[in-house]
Amino acid sequence: MERAHMKRGMAILTMFIVLVGYLGCRRKARRSDVVTVYVSEDEVFSEPILRDFERETGIKVNAMYDTEEAKSTGVMNRLIAEKDNPQADVYWANEPIRAEILKQKGISAPYFSPNAEDIPAAFKDPEGYWTGFSARARVLIVSNKVSDKPRSILAYTDPRWRGRAVIANPLFGTTTVQMAALFILWGDDRATAFMMAMKKNGVSMSTSNGESADLVASGQFDFSLVDSDDVVSRLRQGRAVDMIYPDQGEDDIGCLIVPNAAVLIKGAPHPEAARRLIDALLSKATERKLAFADCAQIPLHPGVETPPDVMRIDELRVMTVNYADVARKMMEIQPFLKRWAGL
Amino acid sequence: MFVTAWAPDKHLMTRRFVLTSVAILLVVIGLLPILAMLARSVVVDGHLSLASCRGLFASGRAWVLMKHSLALSALTTLLTTAIGLPLGVLLAKTDVPFRRLFAMLFTIPLLVPPYITAVSWFDLLGRNGLLARYLSPSLAGTLSTWLFGLPGCVLVLFSTFLPIVMLLTMISLKTVNPRLEQAGRLVAGWFAVLKGITIPLIFPGVLLAAMLVFLLTLGEFGVPAFLRYDVFPVESFTQFSAFYNFGAATAAALPLAVITFLILAAERFFLRKKTDQLQPAPDGEWSLIELGSLRGALFALVSLLCLTIVIVPVLVLLLQSAALSTYVEALNRAGDSLLRSVVYAFIGATLLTLVGFLSGYAIHIRALSFWRSIDALTIFLFALPSTVTGIGLISLWNRPWTGFIYATPAIIILGYLAKYTALTSRITISMLTRIPPSMEEAAQIVGAGWVRRMGMIVAPLAKHGLIAGWLVGYIFCLRDMGITMMVYPAGRETLPVRIFTLMANGPPQLIAALCVVMIAATLLPLGILWATFETAMRGSDR
Amino acid sequence: MKVIAFREVSKYYGGRVAVGDFSLEIEEGERLVILGPSGCGKTTLLRLVAGFIPPDSGSIMIGGEIVAADGRIIKPPEERGVGMVFQDLALWPHLTVKENLAFGLKAKGVPKREREERIREIVDLVQMGEYVQAKPAELSGGQQQRVALARALVLQPKVLLMDEPLSSLDLELSVRLRGEVLKLQKDLGFTLLYVTHDREEAFDIGTRVVVMTGNGRIERIGSIEEVRAYLVARTTASKLPGQNLDEQSA
Repeated sequence: MERAHMKRGMAILTMFIVLVGYLGCRRKARRSDVVTVYVSEDEVFSEPILRDFERETGIKVNAMYDTEEAKSTGVMNRLIAEKDNPQADVYWANEPIRAEILKQKGISAPYFSPNAEDIPAAFKDPEGYWTGFSARARVLIVSNKVSDKPRSILAYTDPRWRGRAVIANPLFGTTTVQMAALFILWGDDRATAFMMAMKKNGVSMSTSNGESADLVASGQFDFSLVDSDDVVSRLRQGRAVDMIYPDQGEDDIGCLIVPNAAVLIKGAPHPEAARRLIDALLSKATERKLAFADCAQIPLHPGVETPPDVMRIDELRVMTVNYADVARKMMEIQPFLKRWAGL
Repeated sequence: MFVTAWAPDKHLMTRRFVLTSVAILLVVIGLLPILAMLARSVVVDGHLSLASCRGLFASGRAWVLMKHSLALSALTTLLTTAIGLPLGVLLAKTDVPFRRLFAMLFTIPLLVPPYITAVSWFDLLGRNGLLARYLSPSLAGTLSTWLFGLPGCVLVLFSTFLPIVMLLTMISLKTVNPRLEQAGRLVAGWFAVLKGITIPLIFPGVLLAAMLVFLLTLGEFGVPAFLRYDVFPVESFTQFSAFYNFGAATAAALPLAVITFLILAAERFFLRKKTDQLQPAPDGEWSLIELGSLRGALFALVSLLCLTIVIVPVLVLLLQSAALSTYVEALNRAGDSLLRSVVYAFIGATLLTLVGFLSGYAIHIRALSFWRSIDALTIFLFALPSTVTGIGLISLWNRPWTGFIYATPAIIILGYLAKYTALTSRITISMLTRIPPSMEEAAQIVGAGWVRRMGMIVAPLAKHGLIAGWLVGYIFCLRDMGITMMVYPAGRETLPVRIFTLMANGPPQLIAALCVVMIAATLLPLGILWATFETAMRGSDR
Repeated sequence: MKVIAFREVSKYYGGRVAVGDFSLEIEEGERLVILGPSGCGKTTLLRLVAGFIPPDSGSIMIGGEIVAADGRIIKPPEERGVGMVFQDLALWPHLTVKENLAFGLKAKGVPKREREERIREIVDLVQMGEYVQAKPAELSGGQQQRVALARALVLQPKVLLMDEPLSSLDLELSVRLRGEVLKLQKDLGFTLLYVTHDREEAFDIGTRVVVMTGNGRIERIGSIEEVRAYLVARTTASKLPGQNLDEQSA
């Protein structure tokens, strides 16, 4: 009896020692060449890039990823909550607005990467607090069944498409960015009128761009304003949809571009490795990989090879906005958007 | 606190020291983070303000959320109790075929994170799901709309929490003295005996189960978020996420706190007089109800339920992930997080068992004057949305000199302790109520000090409770997503977190494969441990 | 010499008096029985002596030393050196008979060889020698009583407390065990404080009997003959209306 107790006790003890040893070893591995990156870009696309970086440089990457596309930005909150004692070195944002908010909150630090020199100035913070790369475009996904396809976001207010259009909740994600950009471009009055007219025209609201794309792909709606990667993924699945870059005419407002953004964190524990990771993210090689991956993102460097279904940035008429202004506008129109969305 | 803990009775010193330490531990890892959050919510720009709360309730949105939260919790509780109670009776007390197998199968959904069940239903009923191919688009659309909302949430949470009611019913039935039923059988049929004697006797157990289901549903975040049904925890999370508003997020959690306290008060009120009636059943004499002609029909009914809420979801995931290459990819992507999950859950369960045992003991014998508050605190933390606890833990522990906790997996373990101590301490309490106090007194009078009494008498007598506590702790740590997601250090994520992050635009078959891996990871060690303990128990009990 | 002394001890549960203003001295080697109806505070008295609860007022002395006074326990149960047989016996079900007996000896740090010796002696004394490897559940009611006695006596206490230990047995077995308890007490010489609601049991065991009232006070104290006479007289009197008396009998 007692011996059995002893034996069991020893077994448990041994297990514990093994566990503690395991954790201890893991901890030692951290100390040498490491970099900690918080990532808002989808894990399926960002993780291979980071693994390549690990392989090429020998620097271990500790990554923390964001969750569901539309709502959660746990990573942003971690950055804000950890402000006084940063754990992250780099933040990989999937749109520049969050990078702007971090700049305004004093959480990021400036860094001009040599790899970013030929990225157009419109996609970089002039003070170096963030640098854009591989972008999504805000495009229309249109059902194949539609013959005369919409060419502008103004189609949302066109009686012809009454009750046939859907848009993601403007309180979240890139749809918010889009609305804020319109408020800047058109002024508050015209943008407000546009949104009210949209509502009057019987627009439906989905919970995310992905859901919008699915609703159009299954033929329940004729079109929706979504991100280009949402459309490319449906096209590659062979769904019956087309991708339209809106407002490409001579006098049109152009198509909104939403780049990824690389951000250096102020007080980063590993600043040297952080700069190397940012350099790698901003390289042509990374942009090429992200163009060929299922996220089908548009390279911002000139002369990067792309697959046939990914547009080049210089072929597009791009909406000119200052992302810092957009960030400020977003906060400002939040109450209006809440009312609009009926929350 | 130290003043009240000090006492001139020197023999109580060890006991007081240990139990007070446990209480302080719980306060530090559980209560302080919450207070930190509350302070953030009330203090705006350096002065006191209730703006966050006012903002929440002025919009009218709060009332909608409240309605949603209560509707979801009430419906789920009602349904799980209405079906779980008869199911438990059927599986524990009748000769329905394959009782043990059914009991095990029905338990599976509880073992996996509920959003995995939601993913599975989505794969089946969603607009592009397996069923949609065979249905008209309008019907598929209706099904999908139905899934995304209250009915879908209730369905998923019902199948997840049904085992809680079922298992607690089965366990409570074992505590009913069969002679009480036999006395009833002399004058009435089984149905009348169950209705008039047995079920009233197990009422406290069922009530506890119902309360647990209600609180768990109330705090559930993953399923309503995935199925897009706005409830308080989702709102709290959205406030953090979309608006970076810590104050508003805490304010959104306050109504949950109020409801939790009301539920606790109600439980106290109902269980006050009842608990003392629970006496252990003497061995043997366990009477099984013979169903006779009903046996076939009830078997069919149970099989159908099992097929719908257990077999189908698992099958859908298997079908989705059919290819072997998917599993290679899944293990390649998530092998290390799988290992981490198991290790963290192992450590978490062990510490939970220890802390739960000691705090349960303190609550049971009322060794500490504030025992009632500790009980309330652990239950409260259990029901509170992980978002709040998580952010609280960050603001409390992320300091340069506490890096050894915050920058390491230790913070995840702290999160587990903050969140799940209620489970192990409640299990301990229910076990201790069955041990006569004279057992410990007899050890005391022959000269054994407190540590020896705990180690040699109380713990061995509570062995089954400790094992059950460890298993429950293991399951809940392993399936936890809420708290882990909030606090894990970069590169230290667990499998549920990894699945959730991959769900953003990840290929559905990969997600399905990972879900299957997750289920296997839960069931395999449990099966092994269960078998080991059962043989051990049989050996020692003879 | 006085082994146990109660000095004006009171104990309340809620507003109810369990023991009221209780004073009593017990001599060394004496067999004192406390007799009274259920709920009269008999068990509370034993628990006060054992040290599981403190008196709300008054003091308790064991062996000339104050062990508890005015709401405080000065000496905890594990240091009082008294033995106790519980009403439900409280044999530890997960330990064998031998382990049950060894537990207290180990706690007191008795070396292994001496432990073995003392266990052997005591199990022989209670005629349980062949059952040392059995678990309590495998024993009959009478055998369990003997183990419980042995477990209390193996530590050689000066005082043994017994809380209605025979109440669950049939009369024949109960009578036989009373004889065994008496014999053990004569052989070992401990002071016995015995609680029962059964008059015959009380008269069989005791050298002196305390009759308790319903509210924890002493109604009568004296030798067996005195108490027997008193109780007979009281039973006769109880036939008059308005008297409130106990209804105990064998």
